[in-house]
Amino acid sequence: MFLVELFVQGLIQGSVYALIAVGLTLVYGLLRILHVAHAGLFTLGGYAGVLVTNATGSVAVALVFAALSVGAVGMAVYRFCYEPILRRPPYVALIASIGLFIAMEELFRIVFGPFGLTYDIVPLQGSVVIGGMYLRSAELVTMALAAVLIGGLGLLAGRTRIGLAWRATVSVPEMAESFGIDIVKVRYLNFFIGSALAGVAGVMVSVLNNLVEPTMGSVASYKALAIIVLGGLGNVRGTLVAALTLGVIEAYGTIYLAGFLDRDAIAFAVLIVILMVRPQGLFGRSA
Amino acid sequence: MAAIDAEPVQGGATQGDRDMRSHALIALAVTAAMAAAGPVTAAEPIRIGFNVPLTGFAAADGASAKNGAELAVEQINAAGGVGGRMLELVSYDDQASPKEVVPIANKLIEQDKVTAAISGSYSAPTRAAASIFQSAKVPYISAYAIHPDITRAGDYVFRTSFMGEVQGRAGAKLVGDILKKKRVVMITLQNDFGKSLADGFKEAAGTFGVEVVAEYEYSIKDRQFGPIVTRVKADAPEVIYASGYFFTAGPLVSQLRAAGIDVPVIGQEGYDSQKFIEIAGAASEGVIITTSLDRDSKDPEARDFIAAFEKKAGYPADMVAASGHTAVKVLAAALGAAGSTDPQAIRDAIAKSHVKASTGTISFNGLGEVEKDVQVQIVRDGRWHHFAVIDDRKLLAAPTN
Repeated sequence: MFLVELFVQGLIQGSVYALIAVGLTLVYGLLRILHVAHAGLFTLGGYAGVLVTNATGSVAVALVFAALSVGAVGMAVYRFCYEPILRRPPYVALIASIGLFIAMEELFRIVFGPFGLTYDIVPLQGSVVIGGMYLRSAELVTMALAAVLIGGLGLLAGRTRIGLAWRATVSVPEMAESFGIDIVKVRYLNFFIGSALAGVAGVMVSVLNNLVEPTMGSVASYKALAIIVLGGLGNVRGTLVAALTLGVIEAYGTIYLAGFLDRDAIAFAVLIVILMVRPQGLFGRSA
Repeated sequence: MAAIDAEPVQGGATQGDRDMRSHALIALAVTAAMAAAGPVTAAEPIRIGFNVPLTGFAAADGASAKNGAELAVEQINAAGGVGGRMLELVSYDDQASPKEVVPIANKLIEQDKVTAAISGSYSAPTRAAASIFQSAKVPYISAYAIHPDITRAGDYVFRTSFMGEVQGRAGAKLVGDILKKKRVVMITLQNDFGKSLADGFKEAAGTFGVEVVAEYEYSIKDRQFGPIVTRVKADAPEVIYASGYFFTAGPLVSQLRAAGIDVPVIGQEGYDSQKFIEIAGAASEGVIITTSLDRDSKDPEARDFIAAFEKKAGYPADMVAASGHTAVKVLAAALGAAGSTDPQAIRDAIAKSHVKASTGTISFNGLGEVEKDVQVQIVRDGRWHHFAVIDDRKLLAAPTN
């Protein structure tokens, strides 16, 4: 029973990782940029969640607002940070992204203060007992949102014309363009969707912790990178599986490996082992 | 200067001579005035160095520490300063990082020429800075960093807060002797703070008949404790001893309560902030901590500090603020007692301190470790309140070497 509970806890954490990492892998797939500042957008979602919920009393409104506003900011990040340097070597964008992430953290601190923000009335605090297992409503909602949103993304990519254009652009951008696909639009769409998912993750984490701090994204900034490498860079399905797997491994690791391995180190230990066996990542195509 | 001024004057010798003379007179007067002001040059402020995390993950504690230290400086200056000289706090942001603090410590010593310095920061940077201040023979006081090696840097380094081990032992007494609980699960923060608390707790646990059933560790970046909470529930302890800061303990305590675990949670000074209560909400009720600030103190120093701090900072006082305030008060008292800015004299005066401050009556042992009571506080109706005091000198004795 206890082992099952640990497994469920792992899935909850894994759902959060998935919501964050999917956006990151989308950006990598399209532009080959390691978008570290994505974690800053996740934090922005947290702030949007607390501020809008406190103002309106509705976490649902906050979720929608966070998805739209963080999505829009994500498009702005593409337009003003990445687009001007697309033709430079990849490390230029990486350095710009790290710089942007640090600037965002400090901006949050200056604007919202170093102590972090909390909810006036924390939403989704009821708990449900399922087979002797206490699950908070917020945890259930986190898992449900991850499933619905990422599932929806899969449908969008697989079953619609937009999705077709998107996949075409990812595979062979020049060919897609010659077929009349507006690849700039695809990039904006890509940043909007990825950032909106991170914004939703930010709201859910702020509810789970009842705390948004300027540095909330610091773990996400590097752990999500480990996850997308595990999932095979640019591979959404692989990223999803890697995120959930890592969540579960961490849950067991926190209890059984705590003496010698930090929870945040587990991701990288797994990463090293997997890359030794499969250099292309768990689900990456071998080059 | 008079000669240069006289040069353009072409209008004859007499004019020039007169100008020369008057300039010389002015120069003489200025020199005389400056000489007369000699003793008053002492009115130049006494500079106190202050390394404090104002950005990065510890920025919240840094802000409180700085507010507390500034409040003490303002209070001392409003009362006429020290020996007629004002105090000036020279602070730099160390981001709670040992890498950042090294150039800061050198700058404070060589460029700012501070008379003494205070750490308003965490253990890692304070340890790094302590040896630099020690080798420059600049007195250095750690306001709330807890690592044992800090004062071992040498005889110019002091600590006005409890070592982690000492507070851990007080925690064991609180659990076994005051609350009469036996089976404890420990949830330990994996850093200097958590580890030294855990060491002290385990060291004294046997003395009070406390049995440590299990110990789990977490990282300072964790806010989600699902797996640990699940495990603790299965362990069914009588009490939980969890180390952490308000930003980890707030989520931890609310997740423990949400999982239906209702045994007492014992924390330490890292919880000591109104922010903990804000984060954990109703789950914070009944949480008990060992700390150094008594919110219900009858002591005028503590009462005055609590009121003045909230007025200055706009939020209720916390342990870190009180610690910053205490360190400045102790240093100022020593500066007064030394009667000079001679480092040796100041060091000796700090060593002989007997100062009433917001965190109690401060004196030091031979190693520069504080000797004061441990305050036990509990959350009731959304505020920290008095629960008990631990004044067992033998239990609380810090190492002397």
